[in-house]
Amino acid sequence: MSTSTSPPMSTPAAPETITTLPKPTTALQRFQSRHGWLVAIAALLVVMLFWRASQVPVFGGFQVRTITAGTLSLALLAMAIGVVIITGGFNFAVGSMVVFINCFSAWLMKDKGLVACLAIAVLSILLSVVLSAIMGWISVVSGVPDIIVTLAISFMLPGVALLILGGPGGGTSPDFVNLVVGGFSNPWPSFIWLVLAIALVWVPVSRSRFGKALYAVGSSRAAAFLAGVDVGRTRIKAYALSGLFCGLAGVVTTAYTASGEPRASIGLGMLLNAVAAVVLGGVALQGGVGGMVGPVLAAFVLSLIPAIMLGLGVDPNTAETVRGIILIVVVLVGGWLQMRRSRA
Amino acid sequence: MSEPLVGAPLLSAKGVSKSYGAVRALRSVDLEVRRGEAHALLGANGAGKSTFVKIVTGVVTIDGGTLTLDGEPLRLANPHQGLGKGIASVFQDPALVPDLTVLDNCKLTGSSPERVRAELEKMGLGALDLREKASDIPLPFQRMIDLARALSHDPQLLILDEITAALPRDLAEKVFEVMAQQVADDKAVLFISHRLDEVIAHCTMCTVFRDGHTVASFVPREGGEQRIVTSMLGAQADLAREDLTERAPTSPGETFLEVRDLASGQAHDLNFEVRAGEVVGLIALEGQGQDDVFACLSGDQRATAGSISLRGKELKARHPADAISKGMVLVPADRLLALLPQRPIRESISLPLRARIRHWGPFSPTKERAIIDGVVKRLSIDTRAAAQSRRLSGGNQQKLTIARWLAAGFDTLLLFDPTRGIDIGTKNQIYELVRELAASGKAVLMFTSELREANLVPDRILVLRRGTLVAELSPEATEEEMLQAMYGVVEGVAG
Repeated sequence: MSTSTSPPMSTPAAPETITTLPKPTTALQRFQSRHGWLVAIAALLVVMLFWRASQVPVFGGFQVRTITAGTLSLALLAMAIGVVIITGGFNFAVGSMVVFINCFSAWLMKDKGLVACLAIAVLSILLSVVLSAIMGWISVVSGVPDIIVTLAISFMLPGVALLILGGPGGGTSPDFVNLVVGGFSNPWPSFIWLVLAIALVWVPVSRSRFGKALYAVGSSRAAAFLAGVDVGRTRIKAYALSGLFCGLAGVVTTAYTASGEPRASIGLGMLLNAVAAVVLGGVALQGGVGGMVGPVLAAFVLSLIPAIMLGLGVDPNTAETVRGIILIVVVLVGGWLQMRRSRA
Repeated sequence: MSEPLVGAPLLSAKGVSKSYGAVRALRSVDLEVRRGEAHALLGANGAGKSTFVKIVTGVVTIDGGTLTLDGEPLRLANPHQGLGKGIASVFQDPALVPDLTVLDNCKLTGSSPERVRAELEKMGLGALDLREKASDIPLPFQRMIDLARALSHDPQLLILDEITAALPRDLAEKVFEVMAQQVADDKAVLFISHRLDEVIAHCTMCTVFRDGHTVASFVPREGGEQRIVTSMLGAQADLAREDLTERAPTSPGETFLEVRDLASGQAHDLNFEVRAGEVVGLIALEGQGQDDVFACLSGDQRATAGSISLRGKELKARHPADAISKGMVLVPADRLLALLPQRPIRESISLPLRARIRHWGPFSPTKERAIIDGVVKRLSIDTRAAAQSRRLSGGNQQKLTIARWLAAGFDTLLLFDPTRGIDIGTKNQIYELVRELAASGKAVLMFTSELREANLVPDRILVLRRGTLVAELSPEATEEEMLQAMYGVVEGVAG
């Protein structure tokens, strides 16, 4: 065979293409495609703030404090579910976790001083981190989808809350309230806490290898595995991070309401609000896309809706219904848009 | 065979074996990649190449045998660990996370962006912007970036798994330059490709796998494509032909399926017909567009051009249900995809039946049972595990998928690799069943990845290569002829 000097039998060659390099996008185009949605939400928020400001005679510290302190826990909760959704999972238990941490901390903080309250706050947040990490661990180890695990646990947590508190009750130190959500007309503490949560937790995390792994796991598990990402461990860490935000939201709720309220329906309502904020904030429900600033801005947009409707003189019951419809439309349209984007 | 003068052994595998459940993918393979070598790994479909690569790169764990790198035992838990030990791999599907920028992707693997950029510049691709999202970059360039990222870790052993399969010529040339550079630097390349011309032109050594064994190692240039093909087939090539059963000559009738200028996905310019009473075989190497052909015919994927006609009437399927109602049904390779794994066998069979006989209102259970019992008996399905379809053996499951369509009734049957992972006895039963179906006036189009089957079952064999039909062979074609057609080593082979 090897003696025949015939030229190598020709395999039909691939089309002789001179492959052209893709046209590089400009920085502006990249900014548009990546942050365009964020800019739109920010603009919407500014418009709504001005609208709200024009509705009331004085738009001062008190009014701003109502918005910042009232939205703080929803914004934190949006981040809590956002990090899990980015990894392609779904944490059904964020709302219940907030209810539980709220009741747990209000139970311990009743009639305590500021220092004790701060220690209890840290303890409560740690408890939330540990419980959430356990939920993630159960899902990873058992292979049961996290939505099922967290759904089951979301029924358990308010039950435990009711068990320890025995009904609405608990309390906290007034100094603690002032420190976390500010006094009657001081909007700054809650705003600063939110900025700190983003700047000290989310920004460093999202720039670390773990942050990239969060997106990688949500975007393509196979590619993440090939790149050396420990998919299971990343998912558990994502749950721990989610627990951190849940714990913060729970403690903030305690400070804002100065009591604990062990009702499961509160958790469910918070969950729907948080999902709506995440979707409106540009996080893809199938994972891998989005950030945390968008959901936080969207949380403010969502909590401004009832205030503005009230200012328009809409009946509060009607306003609640309209808000519910808006939430559903946001989630459906957001989900539909993302489906189209992922197909294109 | 004279020992070629090359460097010290870098990667050495001895008696490596691997099973997936009952399927033995690798029985015992030996392979030695030396420094200064571009080593090709060859073998027909299912010979065990990809399993071997997965073991070396740490995607799956090794069952038995030894694997050493530079004399040290090699055991990787994931593909990333290889980077630290001097093994870098690039697969046909790029391992870039689509939603991250290239820079973030580099961060994920701990690769230095400067070095990745330098490697890209060496390949003349310095203009690629690493700040782009991976999914915004065309696939061929993603592969090149993946390659650059692998090279940035300065690997001793570079594994390229089918990387050139979907690369345009000019980019493939750049890959060959990289390979030549590795060899010149006294490092090594393990190259897996279906393109024999590339292997002969760019590899200094090759190893051929067959049925999970190593059958030969030689210098590809010395043997040429003929020797490679012969080794892939082995001496048993003709033994298998003794199984050829006497088969009644078929007299094809009416044209049931007619395909004209069809294009969909990777497949293009397809023209063929399948007539009543005949079995048409389709053979191809992996990834030549066979998936697209079947997805399009079964109504799962839209055609981008051309037409499909069933019994003279054009089929415009938007949905598998449209094709089914016109009498064309698909039995996919993944049997559990078609069955209701947790449901009783009876229900798996009657699912399409129900869609056909009754749209509204309750079914007649007696009638349903009579039909089902008929087909179960006809196919001799072992129903001892009748409680749940998933408990059946692979062969019985496959019979079940055929049974359901028998119960529902059809004209044209599409079979996609119907005997994958099935024991030989059941295989023969399925062959007989397919022949029987044809004899009773059905039309069958069957894709198979086993060449032996192409001899046994079809009346004629179509060869698909790079998305289009390149040859028609008679069922008496030797496996060598088939392989030559599949690899495009065509010397006037005609039906």
